[in-house]
Amino acid sequence: MRVVLFGAGATGARIARILNSDERITSIRVTDSSAARRVEVASSLGLKATSSNSSDIGKATDLVVVATPMGSQIGLARKAIQAGTPVVTTTCETTEVQALLSIREEAQFQNVPLIVSAGFMPGLTCLLARLGADKLSYVDEIHVAKFGTGGPACARQHHKALSSSAIDWRDGRWVRRIGGSGRELCWFPEPVGGLDCYRGGLPDALLLVPEFSGVCRVTARMAATRRDRFTAFLPMLRRPHPEGLVGAIRVEVRGWKGTERRVLMFGVQCCPAEVTAIVAASTALHILDADNEVEAGARGLAGIRSHRRLLLSIVGRGVWLECFEGA
Amino acid sequence: MESGVVIFMRRILIAIMAGLLVALVIRVRGRGGVPPQIGGWRKLKDDELRNWPVN
Repeated sequence: MRVVLFGAGATGARIARILNSDERITSIRVTDSSAARRVEVASSLGLKATSSNSSDIGKATDLVVVATPMGSQIGLARKAIQAGTPVVTTTCETTEVQALLSIREEAQFQNVPLIVSAGFMPGLTCLLARLGADKLSYVDEIHVAKFGTGGPACARQHHKALSSSAIDWRDGRWVRRIGGSGRELCWFPEPVGGLDCYRGGLPDALLLVPEFSGVCRVTARMAATRRDRFTAFLPMLRRPHPEGLVGAIRVEVRGWKGTERRVLMFGVQCCPAEVTAIVAASTALHILDADNEVEAGARGLAGIRSHRRLLLSIVGRGVWLECFEGA
Repeated sequence: MESGVVIFMRRILIAIMAGLLVALVIRVRGRGGVPPQIGGWRKLKDDELRNWPVN
């Protein structure tokens, strides 16, 4: 099977490596705006891989994975859909997620799946929310939070999100909130521990609400320091780090099991770029496996019917899921 | 006749006491969330995931 990978950054390079290790993949075309980076990644993969700077999809392509900086993914996803090729995107920008979800009909017409935001958060958080929902009779609240960033593009988006307006789902309607507001102390798996989290331009609610009918509240928060909040409205004062090595997510699902009120909490502590790559690559391989029958149309990972199998394949690639037990 | 300094000091004391009283009421009667007191994070095992109940 032939795969085209757009983006060879911290996440893209890892996605390429995971795809390369799968026997079903016979060819990977690595595309990036930086010639040095795409050649370096392609040459590290061996004979299966080639590098290119062309954004053409090609008719013989079986799958497209987009791991380019936020804002550039919608055009590539649209091209792939027009070519009738399934797409996996990794964006976490609100406007881009909205744009990707809006081409749902186009994807359905072409009979191809378009997976929106197969990453750390959103992505793994959507799967964990679905896992929690499986245990409950009825879900009425989902709250997600994250700490940490992947590569430089992710760090820039993280900085921008803190000064962007947040979208929450509250009592059946969308509510816009100021980024950086709504401080909440969230407990992440150790060694990250408790961190103050704030609202921000995070697209999680856009992906979760359509998949959980009857849900009353969906919120997303991100961990930030006082300096992050103080400088959120300014350009980044220094170059982002090559890669954020420590990260964590936390998913809280509230609902009812029969007549009993239940709160389930899941978390993952890891390197964000690594987990994003594992989630994106596992999703790509999941789509290629005909047994999984991923439905046509644009949706987040919570909307995949065979989500449990996908989650197990992610866990099988070394991501440790944790749940909070206590009161 | 009380001096201005005494009046000023008395006002500060009254303000502090009023503040303490409000804090005490909020502390005792407040309904804010309580952070986790017991328990912790536990790794989910593969078997547990495979046999996860579905409603």
